[in-house]
Amino acid sequence: MSTLLATGSRTLTEQMVLIRAVEDQLQELCLQGLGADLHFSKGQEAICVGVCAALRETDYVVTHHRSIAHAIAKGVPLEPLIAELLGKAEGMNRGMAGEMQMSYPAKRFMFSWQLVGTCVPVAAGLAWAVKNYLKTDDVVVVFHGDAATANGQWHEGVNLAAVQKLPLLLVCEDNHLAGNVRPEHYQPVDSVHQRMSGYGLSGITVDGNDVDEVYEQAKRALSIVRHYQEPYMLECDTTRLGRHKQGQGDLRGKDEIARLAERDPLKGVDQDLRQDMEARVAQLIMEVTL
Amino acid sequence: MTIATKQAQPFARNHLIRDASWQAVYDAMRQNPSVYVFGEGAWVKAHYDAPQILKEFPDRIVTMPISEDGNVNFAVGASLLGVKPVVDVITADFLYRAMDSIANTAAKVNFVRPDQPPSTIVIRAEFLTGGPTTGQRPEALFTHIPGLNVVIPSNARDAYGLMLTALDTPGVTLFFEDRMIRDDLITQHNGPLWLAAKTPIPLGCASWRKRGLRSGVTVVSYGLMLQQTEQVLSSWKFDGDYYSENNDLGVDLIDLRSIYPLDWNCIRKMLERTGRLLIIEPDVQYAGIGAEIAATIAEVMPEVRVKRLGGKRATIPAAQSLHGEMMPTEEQIVDAVSNW
Repeated sequence: MSTLLATGSRTLTEQMVLIRAVEDQLQELCLQGLGADLHFSKGQEAICVGVCAALRETDYVVTHHRSIAHAIAKGVPLEPLIAELLGKAEGMNRGMAGEMQMSYPAKRFMFSWQLVGTCVPVAAGLAWAVKNYLKTDDVVVVFHGDAATANGQWHEGVNLAAVQKLPLLLVCEDNHLAGNVRPEHYQPVDSVHQRMSGYGLSGITVDGNDVDEVYEQAKRALSIVRHYQEPYMLECDTTRLGRHKQGQGDLRGKDEIARLAERDPLKGVDQDLRQDMEARVAQLIMEVTL
Repeated sequence: MTIATKQAQPFARNHLIRDASWQAVYDAMRQNPSVYVFGEGAWVKAHYDAPQILKEFPDRIVTMPISEDGNVNFAVGASLLGVKPVVDVITADFLYRAMDSIANTAAKVNFVRPDQPPSTIVIRAEFLTGGPTTGQRPEALFTHIPGLNVVIPSNARDAYGLMLTALDTPGVTLFFEDRMIRDDLITQHNGPLWLAAKTPIPLGCASWRKRGLRSGVTVVSYGLMLQQTEQVLSSWKFDGDYYSENNDLGVDLIDLRSIYPLDWNCIRKMLERTGRLLIIEPDVQYAGIGAEIAATIAEVMPEVRVKRLGGKRATIPAAQSLHGEMMPTEEQIVDAVSNW
């Protein structure tokens, strides 16, 4: 195993490049019919990489169905992760969970769930137990999309977290899409974090494709959550460059995707690094699939 | 210490089952620091129904908003770190509001984490008979979903023992309390026993409530209909078996207590002798637990004759005068037991 693939020693850029390489090659497997219809984070990598870099190792992560990038960013080892995604018994949840329900508590990657919105009240309950049962000052980060804020579970979860004053950082990956649906069908407010004011809470919008900005703002947001023991939202404006999931079409035209790709967080990254990472990941996936 | 008993509120006929389940929660809390209660109005309920818990463990009674679905998901989140939550959803009708978090989250959480310490979650709700959305008995729905256990005690001793077991059983147990069960009849048949014998009762373990030596009919029931059937049979003659003037068939009466898992061994053992099965259920009969029992017995014991009685597939009217028409009557029970 290359040192470049070892967790804990990657730079933010290396971490993003690794996620892109893993997802790109999993996509190839999907297209060959060897993998399920996976949900990829292409174009959104800077958010989980920046946020997870700002976390303590003991902080917890809860997430939604687009979970592969989050697992890698939180330090889940690649072999059991890829084995799980390919439905193998060696997978981190023995192939029972798949991409949308997987977890790896040894790295405090606690819970991911397919149903949109479910992760928020579950994360609130986890944060309640961190604060009142384990009685530590760790923080729970829950990733969700902008579309999840139209769901009742998001609102019930945020309400519970606000009432109970819980150390919960909501990280909204605002890709302005609900599957293939545009925000005018689900979002009546200009920015997602405006919704937090309905619960006496606040948040901030950052450029979710700038990994350094995400990292700096996540550091600040985490200190607010940890110190004041109340929820806060880091709303990360981003671009999903791939399909919603691999088996589904994309209603966006080539021009729009090309325009969004101008903001690709990997734009300008050294091609040698990418090719090197792709080769290493290809080798790893071959070992896992053998 | 015993949880103080108080008189039932006017809208419900009992407090013995309620007190017994609180007693089990209290005893479990003393044994295990990870047992917590998360409920709508939990603090107020404990204040009236279980003041000792509030006095000794005020931090372990967590008052939740009226957001049933979120509350169950919240409890799942807490369970990931070892908390054993009793989630009080209050009324069984409200379970429909938490259907997603029960069926999609709680029921699956242990399955997708096969190498982690399993979550233990008890979801508590009660049956009333009040109206269209205050009196439904949706227990059979939950038996259809892998990952859920479903228990319905008919008396205080069983309520105590089943709650204790539920809090020690990995997975999700739906614990139903039927507020229409009459305390005075519990006291008559099976009341104070739970105070003397504080023992856990395994899930999937039925109890014989009446067992004749020469019985010709096995009646399987639970909850409110168990008590009503027992009340009907108690007026019959008894000489080791139960007889009525028009009926020479003795009767075995089985209280299922848990409808998932089911005690198939008990049912089959009784049927080997009687050959006649009558299922009487308080839930809607159509596609209910009785249908499952009938179908399975028809497959494995084709010689057994099977009949069912149960609730109508009809919306419960608000008018109390009409509630008697929702469930099997005494005449229907007598007729079904006697005429084969």
